[in-house]
Amino acid sequence: MTSRNADAQLDSSDVSGVAGALSTLLVKYPLHKNYYLRVFAQAILTIWAVLTVTFFLVRQMPGNPIDVLIEQILTQEGISYQEAYDRVASSFNFDPDASLFDQYLDYIGDLLRLDMGTSITSPGTRIIDEIARFLPWTLFAVGSGFLISFVLGIILGMSMAYYRDSALDHAMSLISSFFTGVPNYIWGLLIIIGPGISWNWFDVGAARGTYDPGLTPGLNAAFIGSAIEHALLPIITYVLATLGSWMLSMKSSTTGVLNDDYVNVAEARGLKDRRIITAYVGRNAMLPLFAQLSISIGFVLGSGVVIEEIFVYWGFGHYLFQAITVRDYTSVQGAVLILSSTFVFSNLFADLTYGLLDPRVRITGEK
Amino acid sequence: MSSKTLSAPHPLKTLLRLPFTALVAVLGFVNRLRANRAGFIGFLGLLAYFIMTFIMPHFIPFDSEVNLDEIAGPVGSRIQLAVHRDNAALRSFEDLAGKTVGVVDQTGGPSLIAPYADSITIEKYRWTSRRAGPGIRAALVDLANQEIDAMLIFSKTVEEVRADSSDPELQALFAEHVVISNSELGPPHLLGTDTQGRGIATHIVHGGRILILTAVIGGVISTLIALVVGSLSAMIGGAFDAAMTALSNLILAVPRLILLVVLAGLIRFENTLFLGLMIGLLGWPPLMRAIRAQVLSLRERDFVEAARSLGLSTYHIMFREMLPNMISYVMINFIFAITFAMYEQIALLVLGLAPIDDYTWGVMLYFGRSRGTLYNVDGASMALSPVLAIAFFQVCLVLFARALEEIFDPRLRAAV
Amino acid sequence: MFDQQREAVLRVEDLSIIYRTKRGDVKATSRVSFDLRPGEALALIGESGSGKTTISLALIRKLPKNAVVTSGNITYRRDDSVQDLLKLSNRQLRAFRWKDCAMVFQGAQNAFNPVLKIRRQFEDTAQSHGWTDKTAIRERALNLLELVRLDPERVYDSYPHELSGGMKQRTLLALGVLLNPQIVILDEPTTALDILTQRAIIDVLNDMQRQLHFSIIFISHDLSLAAEMADTVATVYAGEIVEIGPVNDIFYRSLHPYTYGLLTSVPTLEHMQDHLQSIPGSPPNLIDPPAGCKFHPRCAFATDACHKDSPPLALDIGTHPAACWHKDRLLESRKEPV
Repeated sequence: MTSRNADAQLDSSDVSGVAGALSTLLVKYPLHKNYYLRVFAQAILTIWAVLTVTFFLVRQMPGNPIDVLIEQILTQEGISYQEAYDRVASSFNFDPDASLFDQYLDYIGDLLRLDMGTSITSPGTRIIDEIARFLPWTLFAVGSGFLISFVLGIILGMSMAYYRDSALDHAMSLISSFFTGVPNYIWGLLIIIGPGISWNWFDVGAARGTYDPGLTPGLNAAFIGSAIEHALLPIITYVLATLGSWMLSMKSSTTGVLNDDYVNVAEARGLKDRRIITAYVGRNAMLPLFAQLSISIGFVLGSGVVIEEIFVYWGFGHYLFQAITVRDYTSVQGAVLILSSTFVFSNLFADLTYGLLDPRVRITGEK
Repeated sequence: MSSKTLSAPHPLKTLLRLPFTALVAVLGFVNRLRANRAGFIGFLGLLAYFIMTFIMPHFIPFDSEVNLDEIAGPVGSRIQLAVHRDNAALRSFEDLAGKTVGVVDQTGGPSLIAPYADSITIEKYRWTSRRAGPGIRAALVDLANQEIDAMLIFSKTVEEVRADSSDPELQALFAEHVVISNSELGPPHLLGTDTQGRGIATHIVHGGRILILTAVIGGVISTLIALVVGSLSAMIGGAFDAAMTALSNLILAVPRLILLVVLAGLIRFENTLFLGLMIGLLGWPPLMRAIRAQVLSLRERDFVEAARSLGLSTYHIMFREMLPNMISYVMINFIFAITFAMYEQIALLVLGLAPIDDYTWGVMLYFGRSRGTLYNVDGASMALSPVLAIAFFQVCLVLFARALEEIFDPRLRAAV
Repeated sequence: MFDQQREAVLRVEDLSIIYRTKRGDVKATSRVSFDLRPGEALALIGESGSGKTTISLALIRKLPKNAVVTSGNITYRRDDSVQDLLKLSNRQLRAFRWKDCAMVFQGAQNAFNPVLKIRRQFEDTAQSHGWTDKTAIRERALNLLELVRLDPERVYDSYPHELSGGMKQRTLLALGVLLNPQIVILDEPTTALDILTQRAIIDVLNDMQRQLHFSIIFISHDLSLAAEMADTVATVYAGEIVEIGPVNDIFYRSLHPYTYGLLTSVPTLEHMQDHLQSIPGSPPNLIDPPAGCKFHPRCAFATDACHKDSPPLALDIGTHPAACWHKDRLLESRKEPV
């Protein structure tokens, strides 16, 4: 609620600074008073700001793509520096001598035409194609991990609240603190060292990549099975690393709800246990978790970089990491655009749909 | 307040009493903590970490001596005594008095035998020599031919040389003449050795201090910024509030990794602690939002209304009325901020994206991964030790924070 | 008025309940007995913490987990079948709740699930007791909502937060009688409501009882409400019923000093402020209650006998049973002009 008030203030102060023509227009067509339009405009504005910041920041990264590539050529082929430089400069599809600001304008202009550009280190590769190649794997792994951990966390958290102060509760509290505390990449390393290497349950090398080589991507059993097999380790890691916090949040919110009068009354009304657990306790206890859900989606997508590097899973995080290491500015920008939009729009989506779950904050368009 | 100022004791007395009051407060706190078993374990764990990373380094030197024959040794590995089959009775340094003992440089041998130089004749072999080939093999040949009576060597390398089937003649020679008479001659490497034969245990002892300090700095900075910006935003409102909210949204929306890599490169710090500063500067938005919301709701509460109607200053209201109500919440989030800062800096180190100056747990992990010992059962300790050190530290912090949460929040306390 | 001669729907005999706590066992109710006849309105009055709510929670078996029933039984009669409530299985208990005995809890503000429409919550209740026809449920619910003087269509399709406190209280009353229960328990039905809403609720209750013929047990410390609604009044002190009788007898011919104290601590139109008295002292500690009569430390009539022996709830002097050794002295003192 409070953030909405703040948004309202933000809006009014913004409008006061805008040119007169625009304000008369706004008086005539009070679009800025439409809640949906306003939050959408804010989301776009945030993404633009992020893009601008990244555009200039990535060019400040130590080392630049030309040097990185020249060094590669020098070590591989043993030609002179000048030769290497000429080759690199001619193969790059941006003009290193153009001013930064012109490059920025070009970039934004292209984006407005829905063109994310091409990679500067491997010319001709369209970034949109690269993203389409890598992103689905990450969405698959992160999405399933997220779903499993959310559902499991809710069930376990509720049982902890129902059996409060029992041995079960204490054991699970301890376990969930453990799950929360251990960072996700540490889980990844533990999985490799323990079951992978020491106990030899599976072949760490064979689990790399996104599917077994030689299979044709498509809706065939072999490919899908292989894709699941390869995603299994990242999925398990995401589940282990996020399960604990879902459990604890759900436990504390269920504990709160169980003390609420309406649950007591529902029992006195002779409702069936299953109905009370789902519609009365579960639904109310889950409300605060949905707010966290959107924030953690962004966080988990971002943390994919480390997990995918550890398991050598060729997803979006791997793509981003590669782009960072070779200082492929345009690819980094493309990846950031995707990550930021995911974060901003999942938040927006959560904000807008929260009212569907909780009638008390249903938005009436005006507010 | 007023009654205190009326009967204020002598300042010196207060000062003298201070340590005592502090002790009582700490003991009382520990006592409350003991009721929460998991939290108490976390607290003890943190104490243990403190001792290990801040006190033990003064007594245990960092093992920087490269021992090439102990590469990636398993847990508990130690130097062994190899003798000729006819001399199998030689087991200790005392037994070796008057004998000739071979040691190879760049192994732990020379330093281990140095104290006995008076009684023992030491025959030194170079790690590799153009004439005699690998020093270990040369020494073993001499041992088999009884040119020396014994040699100090690390078990794994002996096994490797003895198992080398490229020269069946040598293999037969060793099998016939060389035996290990004492497999526990040297002090054990508690956690094995890394890819340069250095004791991992000493690295664990030394590798935590900087990380923990960095994480605490990150936590302090982000918590402070969140506290100040959050409460100011809520109290002042208007354009400041709008600007800060927008800024926090922006920081949250930029992928953290990229920001940190860029900033890490920009600053080019000599000191890992700067990383903590960076993490702190980027870590405040979530807590700031929470604090802002809390202050906004506290502002509506009766006691703050009352304070305002009494004409008390904003400063007074914030620090005397509101802060005490939020302090436990802030404390708990401070601990979580530490775990978060720990998480981020180690992620950067593991990916090799942060500058590596200090040999920390994170750097050990990076080398463990990049040098592949992770995939080798014998060498797994190099990656596993820092993994466990980090994991248990984080778990202790979380357990401690959860215990604080339960102690401070009566809603969570067990009923009746 | 109810029918004195008909057999009781509810008979509570010798009911004792303790709460196990870290500091010891709290003797929340001791040897409580009473009958509730069809159509009767019974008021349990007493200070907070006297055990009124414990008695009512025991009736629907919703005591807290640390409560133990140490003696007594509760028999419930519907038509010709008799059940011992303390021996119901979980399934029987679920069927019994709300269909036979509904409880309107104190503070209806949070009695409704905030994320479900009122309609859904009526349907939940009816469906849980085997009623499947949604249009029939709707019809019955709209009738009842009209009976509690609400705009039925609007309220039925509202979310709880869209209703005011008084509206929620009345909606809960309507929900309470949805399944046509024989007994409705009202726990402080009017506290936290403004005076006009209180008035409306009382009228609604009277209306409903006239039309639907259920029995009421209500719990209150509001004596004027008891006077207005009850047929029978029972005074509860320190977990015991110390006096029980028809409403007029209790109000005009009370036989227990505690009841009398309660009565004189309430302002009425006739007796103005200067006669108001409060009962000295505070309710006893129920972990370690006083020996003898539990009221004796606060009683102006107490003698040695009161310190030693607990008086029985006996019908010896006066019109109705009361537990006091000195009923005669109380009656004597009341004859004197005040």
